[in-house]
Amino acid sequence: MERSSQPQAGLIKRGSRARGETPAYSKGLRTLSISTVIAMAVSLSLVFFYAPLEAEQGFLQKIFYLHVPLAIVALCGFVLGGLLAIAHLRTRDPRWDYRSYVVIHMSLIFAVGTLITGSIWAKGSWGHWWVWSEPTLVSFLIVFLLYATYQPLRFAIEDPERQARYASVFAITAGAFVPLNFIAVRLSTAYLHPRVLGSTSNLPGSMALTFLVSLAAMSLLFATLCKYELTAKHTRAQVRALRRRLEGQAEARRAPRSAAPSLQHVTAMTAAPPPGGRTTGQR
Amino acid sequence: MIVVTLAELPALPLHTAGKYVAGAYIVLFALVLIYVAIMAIRLSRIERELGELLACAREGELSAGPGERPAGPGERTAAAGAGTQPDPAVPAVCPPGQDDVAQPESTLA
Repeated sequence: MERSSQPQAGLIKRGSRARGETPAYSKGLRTLSISTVIAMAVSLSLVFFYAPLEAEQGFLQKIFYLHVPLAIVALCGFVLGGLLAIAHLRTRDPRWDYRSYVVIHMSLIFAVGTLITGSIWAKGSWGHWWVWSEPTLVSFLIVFLLYATYQPLRFAIEDPERQARYASVFAITAGAFVPLNFIAVRLSTAYLHPRVLGSTSNLPGSMALTFLVSLAAMSLLFATLCKYELTAKHTRAQVRALRRRLEGQAEARRAPRSAAPSLQHVTAMTAAPPPGGRTTGQR
Repeated sequence: MIVVTLAELPALPLHTAGKYVAGAYIVLFALVLIYVAIMAIRLSRIERELGELLACAREGELSAGPGERPAGPGERTAAAGAGTQPDPAVPAVCPPGQDDVAQPESTLA
């Protein structure tokens, strides 16, 4: 905990400067939510009533418009988490770590959806829930398992500052692994799994349009859920800071151990020192 | 109007691979639904904690005399000991919230 005092003092300084400018994560949430609902409705309508049936797989191919956007958004989310982690290491601003955590967390949920829908598609198409000889499936599972260790890693580190730093390093390394893994699979010789990117031009116009709308809808859903998560965690941190402020013991009680970022900037901004009291940075 | 529109729409071949397609889309729906349920639980917890904090703040204002700074719930015991009698119906300090109990967020997140 010795090394954490310096960055925390920085947080207080930054928080004092920004007092009254607490970031509003809920800004634009309503518009985003409405856009997502509309986009999802349009996407589902196109999938079931506009896109033609594929010649080989028939109606089963409709899973393509769900499974592939889920996978693309999840993988892009992992990479985005790495980019946000770079911003955190560059600026030491905990808000970037907070965003990186939420994006990776949501990508993990989308990855679960990808694996489940992929298994259902495999069962309908190939007759098996899982095919270990298929590199695309196995590589995605490896990426998923890699990111499944992200939360335990965070939870294993008690010091919030160290937790954020180590998690950022992990997010960057794993984020760099994702595109490398993707390229390696595409360069492999087995082409049992249907190719999507790079062959989109081979799709009929109606199918390509449906796919792009589905991808946009899934991206909007991802963004909306991330924003909900950011807002909820931020609100909870504000309530916690307000409780400490009301109790007059802004730093007497340690926050419970958690895998989530500690959001000290919120505490610093909200929990002004009581008269004659100490600030968190004066520990 | 709706009936006419539905009649114009092409029939879905649900008899062939319908169960797989339905299963896949239900998975997405279930994931979103579970997420919404978790968010509802979180929201109700925040609402409850805010209510507790509001009650604490009101109690702090009541216990402070005219012209005095409203005492925080943590300071209430000292203020009561100095002059006024504490209200036995009110706990000495604000009850600890859910956040103060050791509980990893990852279980809900």
